[in-house]
Amino acid sequence: MLEPVLLANFFIVFFSAASVILFGAGYALLFAWSRVRSRPRLMMLAYAAYAGLVVSVITLAFAANLFNNSFWTFIVVLMLVGYLVAPHGIWHLCVGTHAEAHEDEVNPIKVYQQR
Amino acid sequence: MAAIGISNSAPLNGGQKLAMKYFTVAIALFGAQVLFGLLAGIQYLNPDFLFGILDFSVNRMLHINAMVVWLLFGFIGSVYWLLEDESGVPVVGLGLGNLSFWVFTLAVVVVVLVYLLVQVGPGELKSIWLINEGREYIEAPRWADIGIVVCVLVFFFNVAATFSKGKFTNIGGVLVMDLVALAGLYLAGMWYTPNISMDQHWWWWVIHLWVEATWEVLVGCLMAYGLIKTMGVRRKIVETWLYIEVALMFGSGILGLGHHYFWIGTPEYWFTIGGFFSALEPIPLVAMVVHAVFDAGTHKVKSTNNPALAWIIAQAFGNFFGAGVWGFMHTLPQINLYTHGTQWTASHGHLAFFGAYVTMVIAFMYIAIQKWRGDVYMSGNLVGAWKWKWALFLLHAGMITMTMALLISGYEQSQIERAIGGSTWMAYFEAQGHVWFMQGMLWRQIGGWIFAAGFVLLAWDLLTIGKRETRPALKVQAE
Repeated sequence: MLEPVLLANFFIVFFSAASVILFGAGYALLFAWSRVRSRPRLMMLAYAAYAGLVVSVITLAFAANLFNNSFWTFIVVLMLVGYLVAPHGIWHLCVGTHAEAHEDEVNPIKVYQQR
Repeated sequence: MAAIGISNSAPLNGGQKLAMKYFTVAIALFGAQVLFGLLAGIQYLNPDFLFGILDFSVNRMLHINAMVVWLLFGFIGSVYWLLEDESGVPVVGLGLGNLSFWVFTLAVVVVVLVYLLVQVGPGELKSIWLINEGREYIEAPRWADIGIVVCVLVFFFNVAATFSKGKFTNIGGVLVMDLVALAGLYLAGMWYTPNISMDQHWWWWVIHLWVEATWEVLVGCLMAYGLIKTMGVRRKIVETWLYIEVALMFGSGILGLGHHYFWIGTPEYWFTIGGFFSALEPIPLVAMVVHAVFDAGTHKVKSTNNPALAWIIAQAFGNFFGAGVWGFMHTLPQINLYTHGTQWTASHGHLAFFGAYVTMVIAFMYIAIQKWRGDVYMSGNLVGAWKWKWALFLLHAGMITMTMALLISGYEQSQIERAIGGSTWMAYFEAQGHVWFMQGMLWRQIGGWIFAAGFVLLAWDLLTIGKRETRPALKVQAE
């Protein structure tokens, strides 16, 4: 079930696991920014970040011996698919929950000095 | 209307007056946490320091227990602060709430004095009841355990009865349900079984499920209220996202408990469950990133309380790095085998607790102080703003230094003690004496002093912020 990490791979595991989260956040950030600002070029950067995430996940999987077992291989696939679709899903939720945002343009949130 | 810049409890409602008491004790206990952390840190560098007077085991216990209790005081204070505002009616049973505050505070003082003066007792049931229960992180003696549950139940009664009588907002609904879990889960850490695996199994219900489920949800509620108050974010949006975040956190956080069951003698299927849900735990953080960018892009952000907003932003980053990055680095069992219980865990714990919880309680303290000083101006160009900015900087600089230093020591331990030495008693000491470990401890201590300086500045700022201001607060026209 478990094949512990080799000593030589410790640093690779820590570094690649941290990279998974950082690239995942980078992808989510650039994805949302591209959509908010309507800048397609940022979307390319977002997918470049996702590519970094794929490399990180694969590196982690090899270093942590995840491909030697079908369950852990499933976890690797789940991470790859999950990180890819999560920002899309969350974006749809954002649009849905802010559906009445146009009202803000008529009555914007006011921040004013009290007298 | 209260005079601007003058501290005055008159404009506060009953719940908010009670909240100020909780915040006062919370900040004092925060100071105790820092003090005992510094002493414990010195003992790593000089093991003879206070040996036989205030041993490392006592300092460490006080350091961690003070943290748990001051955050609890901070959370309870924050909820009392928003209670009347959210529900639209005075706090039901406020007198009982006040009594509970004094009982709780007195109990904490007695427990701390017993920890300091009595410290240990014979291996009898009497020691468990009167001195120390012996369970790591929740060492409070049994009488205090029961007292904590009673106080939390009184708190629950105040909150549930007030919302029931007034408006049951979505924030209120989530909060009430969360408090049921908060009080209920504490019971899991109160019974003893002679089987250490079973004992640890239940103990983790308190440690993990409090921290990665009920506290996270509580902070979500506080964040929702804080965003409405400081930025005027529309309630409907905030509350919808509160539900989404709660679903995501519960979806991954509850069975994420499995990553604590890897090495305590529980069945092997916990590797599967723990690994699977630990891999899911970063998802709420990714959701948070997308939503934060969406909000920042669609609304022009302006705040009525800059220090509070700065600490709320710090919460988002701190939670992401402390819980997300530092957690996932060593959560899979294949590597956790070597890192579990080393300074690596301490590194993760320091950054995650600070990032996810300390930041939010401090944000709420600033929200409270603003109103306490007659709704004083706390936006751009605030008079004396350097204090809150430097406190924020020093606390973060100290915490990051400590986290990185502990990470280096933990990395060394995972190699020398665990992987090479095979977790033997000899290997433990070999790792403790290694130059990387010692240098890590030295830098951790330096980080601790920086953090302590930040704490002093924070306390000073909380006492004085807005004192020399004459302008009233900016107002947001929230929904």
